[in-house]
Amino acid sequence: MSTSTSTSTYTYTHTATYLSDVIMGTIGDILALLGIRPDGAMRWDQDEQAIAAWIAERSLDTVVLECQRPDGAVRPIFEFPVTYKTTGQGEFENSRAAMARAHAKITSVPWGTTYRLFCTFRTSRTPQPGWSSGTRASTDGLRSTSFGTLADAPHASASARYLR
Amino acid sequence: MQRHRTIAASPARNAAEAWQTIRGLVDDTLERRSSVDRADVDVELTVLDQLARMLISAGHLEKNPLVLVAGGLWLEIGTVSGGKALTLEENLNPVPGGADATDWRLHVPQVEPMAKLARTTVKGHAHLSADEAVQPTESAAKTAASVDLDALERWARESA
Repeated sequence: MSTSTSTSTYTYTHTATYLSDVIMGTIGDILALLGIRPDGAMRWDQDEQAIAAWIAERSLDTVVLECQRPDGAVRPIFEFPVTYKTTGQGEFENSRAAMARAHAKITSVPWGTTYRLFCTFRTSRTPQPGWSSGTRASTDGLRSTSFGTLADAPHASASARYLR
Repeated sequence: MQRHRTIAASPARNAAEAWQTIRGLVDDTLERRSSVDRADVDVELTVLDQLARMLISAGHLEKNPLVLVAGGLWLEIGTVSGGKALTLEENLNPVPGGADATDWRLHVPQVEPMAKLARTTVKGHAHLSADEAVQPTESAAKTAASVDLDALERWARESA
């Protein structure tokens, strides 16, 4: 009896493109769910490319989506931590369906709410267009709910957390 | 003529690149119709630049494709992501059919949670729709034809 195997070679770029795409897609779904209009295609591309670049160089720790209400309060907040692997093995998988079910847990925001994206880092990072230093809002007093793993790729994975 | 094309999204392409590929396919397909102006197509598709990126990134086009209707042409355009996107054999050639089309419309899926954004985005654009594309069936075509003939007959009697 003969056997055959197939192997796939995935690069860091594949992992970075995949995870940044799933994270941005999840952010897009959340903004649509909350009725917050995104900032436009050019900004979207800048953000997706920056996140991908930082994942590829393994500097990115967490992508943060902050919802800023008209009264100045910042909630809810969504965090997307990225965890890196040493093996480089595995496939591309996502939990978009589970995330869609979790939408029911997300509370609405008042009209006029805007958003900001932050990234935190585990090591020094390469500057990216459209991104500058900033200060995150405090998460004191917010209740955290984990939505579990959002996407898995050969070199890293991303999860989602909801703070309200 | 019903056709389906699948475009490789991430990790083969990011959302912007996947949308640009879809735009190219729609452009090239509609360019075959002498009555369709490519510049008009570009103007309309630019309206979708943001929404399309969101739909692609969130994976919505994997199950709910865009539908291009132009005369007899019915073209569904979906995406695939993950490992399948890296092994997909794409066909990006212009899609034949509907050469006699004088009009065209691109239907964007109304998929939650982006349904409202989709409706808002396409509002006021004659060649874009968030309504479900309705495929004309043979029976529907016959019904439509008989209704028209009946109405014509009544009009003729009343006018006589």
